[in-house]
Amino acid sequence: MTEPRQVHTAVEHLVARVLLVGGLVGLVLIGVGLGIYAADGGFHHQVLALKRVPGSAPPGVFTSMRQIVAGLRRRPIDPLAVGAVGLVVLMLTPGVAVTVALPCFLAARDYRHATIAAAVLSMLLVSLLLAGAVH
Amino acid sequence: MSLAVFSVAVLFTSLGAGVVGAILGLGGGILLVPILTVFYGVDLHYAMGASIISVIATSSGAAASYLRTGLSNLRIGLFLVVATIAGALTGAFLAGVVPTRWLELILGFALSYSAYTTIRQLADELPEDTSTDRLAIRFGLEGAYHDLRLQRHVAYRARNVVGGFAAMFGAGVLSGMLGIGSGAFKVLAMDYLMRLPMKVSTATSNFMIGLTAAASAGIYFSRGDIHVLIVAPVAIGVMVGAYIGTHLIAYMRNTTVRKLFLPIVVYLALSMILRGLGIHLL
Repeated sequence: MTEPRQVHTAVEHLVARVLLVGGLVGLVLIGVGLGIYAADGGFHHQVLALKRVPGSAPPGVFTSMRQIVAGLRRRPIDPLAVGAVGLVVLMLTPGVAVTVALPCFLAARDYRHATIAAAVLSMLLVSLLLAGAVH
Repeated sequence: MSLAVFSVAVLFTSLGAGVVGAILGLGGGILLVPILTVFYGVDLHYAMGASIISVIATSSGAAASYLRTGLSNLRIGLFLVVATIAGALTGAFLAGVVPTRWLELILGFALSYSAYTTIRQLADELPEDTSTDRLAIRFGLEGAYHDLRLQRHVAYRARNVVGGFAAMFGAGVLSGMLGIGSGAFKVLAMDYLMRLPMKVSTATSNFMIGLTAAASAGIYFSRGDIHVLIVAPVAIGVMVGAYIGTHLIAYMRNTTVRKLFLPIVVYLALSMILRGLGIHLL
């Protein structure tokens, strides 16, 4: 029987890099959004409404990409929309990491794990579609 | 509470949750949701939205580091996450069809047994002999890392792959049906059933929880549960905390991680049994 070996290849490094870069980009965008919001005096005069009222859309709550884009196009720009872009980047990061792993597995002729990565991606897509349908 | 005070307080709270989450392979939601709702008065929906983002932030912050050091196993993570997401999708369909109270009770007792086995394994630093599981060899569910605490090279291979896969599917079903996070179950299945080193179990769980959270983040977003002003300090704090946690775990023994994990299992077991009896802690 073979001894366990270290299967530590370029795929791990690439996935790690995607997770790190995705996380950092998301974090920077959130920070920039909060920074602009603070510079505009947002933190001075507001007491945050912590209770959710059904049907209402308080500042800082976006329910679609269209709303975020509208906030980014507004002049002056809606700083919370910038933060929301950071959150979306963060949400997409794990999926992107698996997406880049797939061609790496294929290039390494590791078809078994390429199939597994494809299955994970398919299920992520199905769950996204189901989430949309449920909503 | 003013927004500035709230943001700073939540940032530091989340930093702590990120440290714990990264070390124990949990998203931090198990800590953050009760803290945000009970201590800060945040609406449960917003707290759950913040929790799902905290899971992804912990995962991105911690898994990036763990994958580079070999502590997180990408192949084991992808293999098992297939079962978890498939289970979660099945659970979402079964919700409302199967009575959840019985499931909560069963889960509570299963967790109680897990707590008992965790106590029995408290002194086990590493699995003793090499696994000969055919599926583990076939799928390359093995790895190695350099343990800074033990000052040695640790090689491991998963055992009882079928049992681990089935447990992950079951955890996914329960997660989908009951709307609970499954980081703790993932760690338990990898540690207890598959006999992976505890640190590998929590580090690999960190990678997996990001994927499962990403699968459900969209629905929280479209429901309006993600409030930028609440989530922003959580995401920043958790990610910084996760980064600190990945450095701390490198110098910890597997037994220390397991001892830290035990109270979480006990808490989950109790809360599930109480939920099954109709008593909700939250």
